[in-house]
Amino acid sequence: MKYFDRLHPVSALAYFLSMLLIAMLTMHPVIISVCYLSGIIFCGMLTGYKNLLKSLAYSLPLTVIIAVTNPLFSHRGETILFFLNDNPVTQESILYGVFASLMLMSVFYWCKNYSAVMTSDKFIYLFGRIIPKLSLVLSLILAFIPKMKRKFREIDEAQKALGIYASKSYVDKIRSKMRVLSILLTDSLENSVETADSMRARGYGLKHRTSYALYRFGLSDGLFLAATLALAAADVVLIIFGASSFNFYPALSAVGFSALPCALYVCIALLGFMSFFAEVKENVLWRLLKSKI
Amino acid sequence: MKKDVFAICVVIFLLVLIFSGTKIQSVDDYYLTHIDDIKEDSETVFLTIRCDTALDNWDDLDPALRYERYVPADGIILPRTEYVLRAGDTAYSVLDRAVRYNKIHMECSYSVNYSSVYVQGINQLYEFSCGELSGWMYMVNGVFPNYGCSKCTLSDGDEVVWCYTCDLGRDVGCEWGLMK
Repeated sequence: MKYFDRLHPVSALAYFLSMLLIAMLTMHPVIISVCYLSGIIFCGMLTGYKNLLKSLAYSLPLTVIIAVTNPLFSHRGETILFFLNDNPVTQESILYGVFASLMLMSVFYWCKNYSAVMTSDKFIYLFGRIIPKLSLVLSLILAFIPKMKRKFREIDEAQKALGIYASKSYVDKIRSKMRVLSILLTDSLENSVETADSMRARGYGLKHRTSYALYRFGLSDGLFLAATLALAAADVVLIIFGASSFNFYPALSAVGFSALPCALYVCIALLGFMSFFAEVKENVLWRLLKSKI
Repeated sequence: MKKDVFAICVVIFLLVLIFSGTKIQSVDDYYLTHIDDIKEDSETVFLTIRCDTALDNWDDLDPALRYERYVPADGIILPRTEYVLRAGDTAYSVLDRAVRYNKIHMECSYSVNYSSVYVQGINQLYEFSCGELSGWMYMVNGVFPNYGCSKCTLSDGDEVVWCYTCDLGRDVGCEWGLMK
């Protein structure tokens, strides 16, 4: 992460918010696919492709489970595959499930990218003075899951040393994990109160407090922000004008490839992959400069 | 290890319970190719499925459904037809046989609250497809029974009409829809 590390938090926040907004705005298959692909590719860039594969190993089965759940509850659609308890299971409802779960996953991966780039100090730099309490709570929430994962491992190891996993029975193993979880919950509750206390003790939210990191809004930050806002505005306008209309029920409508939908796809692809290419460009530049030395 | 065996047994029991409760049928098995023949001494009922109110409220109708094959121009999905009445037949079971025979799409679910079957959609036309007060209702001999369709046992010569309403029954002449 070279480009996004130095990018001004305002530009980065605008970028992630517009990406999340567009990912949630429509159920159009092309748009969802573009958001999902750009999300996972950028996630690989930020967290390393090995970590991406690890997270895909969890998220792909989840995607499949969500996709299979939809046809159990929704029986609309013309192409009937078979009947389950006298209700039709249709191709349309399966496809709807697939794209609904891809939408969920693209939001998940864009949130993951957000939390990789927008560290809590950046968030507090932006909002610490305007909305001190809310920004502290938000940054605590956003840092919650990674922190919990770390803490879980710590508690798990401590409990292992105490001999909690001595039994070979699987039921006992699951019960031990439950115990670790309950310890984790108590600990995280206590921890959040302690964090708030210690922040207050250090004068958080006072008027003349400066922030740890300083960012200067430069030309490239301005360009990135302008590109983000222009593309996001174009996407929203095109979606309002109906360029993304698509029906799953009762029959799949055709994916539009006329001028307006195509413009929308291009805009969304540009917006989605902009972050990736900015990062690639910076990496190439770094290599070039290094090779000159 | 005893606990493990017990847990595995419980899981297997639950799986068997789920699978014994599900019935998977192919499309050909579900649709009926033949229906009871009407003989001289057989008891019969008449069944109609209609959706005229969707035509009257065309602007509220889901744009994806504004086609002849979902909402016919005359508002009749199934014209008045005579069907053989079997012992214990209800408004639901006759509808079920008729849609299976005519290859009409239908979705229904069992409602535990009313201990009866609830019909969500017929011919891709669903509840809430035409405004938020829309859905399927049934009428027997011109009266709307105020209970579920699988509780309504039919007798010889009954006239059953499944009609789509866009206004909680008020537009198809349901009297208890007028009450508060």
